[in-house]
Amino acid sequence: MASSIPIDVALCSNAFEPLAELQQWPHHQSNAATGIFIGRMRSQGSSAEELEAMQLEHYPGMTERQLQHLASDAAASHGVRAVLIRHRIGRVTPNQTLVLVAVSADRRGPAQRCCQALLEAIKHDAPFWKQEISRSGDRRWIEGNTPL
Amino acid sequence: MQQSSGSITVRLFAALREQAGWDQRSWPLTSGANALSVWQALGFGDAIPDGTRVAINQEFESPRQQLQQGDELAFLPPISGG
Repeated sequence: MASSIPIDVALCSNAFEPLAELQQWPHHQSNAATGIFIGRMRSQGSSAEELEAMQLEHYPGMTERQLQHLASDAAASHGVRAVLIRHRIGRVTPNQTLVLVAVSADRRGPAQRCCQALLEAIKHDAPFWKQEISRSGDRRWIEGNTPL
Repeated sequence: MQQSSGSITVRLFAALREQAGWDQRSWPLTSGANALSVWQALGFGDAIPDGTRVAINQEFESPRQQLQQGDELAFLPPISGG
């Protein structure tokens, strides 16, 4: 059965300001607790080299549906009231926001637990691929995720 | 030789796409074909590497799920989102 919980998902091909996204999200104001995660691009790559940028590839259609599916599952499992996801695609530069996950609930426990679980689900089960671009121009695909 | 029974679309992403030099192609569907047999027929190797996942019509599936005429089969290298 489809979830009636409001799930707001968007892929962003341009830089976005996460706090502005939250300001415009009505559930942030209307529920007692909101769990928030903001992930930004590191300036150093997985081999400690300085990065110029990162290219974020996705699977158009499947990625959006998978984010909706993961958010609906997490929301239902944790009994929360609303979920917001923003995820960058395309070329990203250091310190730009890569991902914003916000979960609104009536208590801090469900909000925080759902936010963490959903972020991990996105990292492992949403089809995105990061390619690091070093300042020397080398490109390298990243397989897997940084430790929790 | 197995009989062809239509075609599927095969899609590759990220490192797999760059290694193969293509991102999408039509592929003849043979009777009983699944993602593993297509992987082998494409010359990518005997086994799908650990961490590489299969999607059929944009849903994760087992590599042994039988393919149907018109399916979109995607090979997804290890995911690194978030």
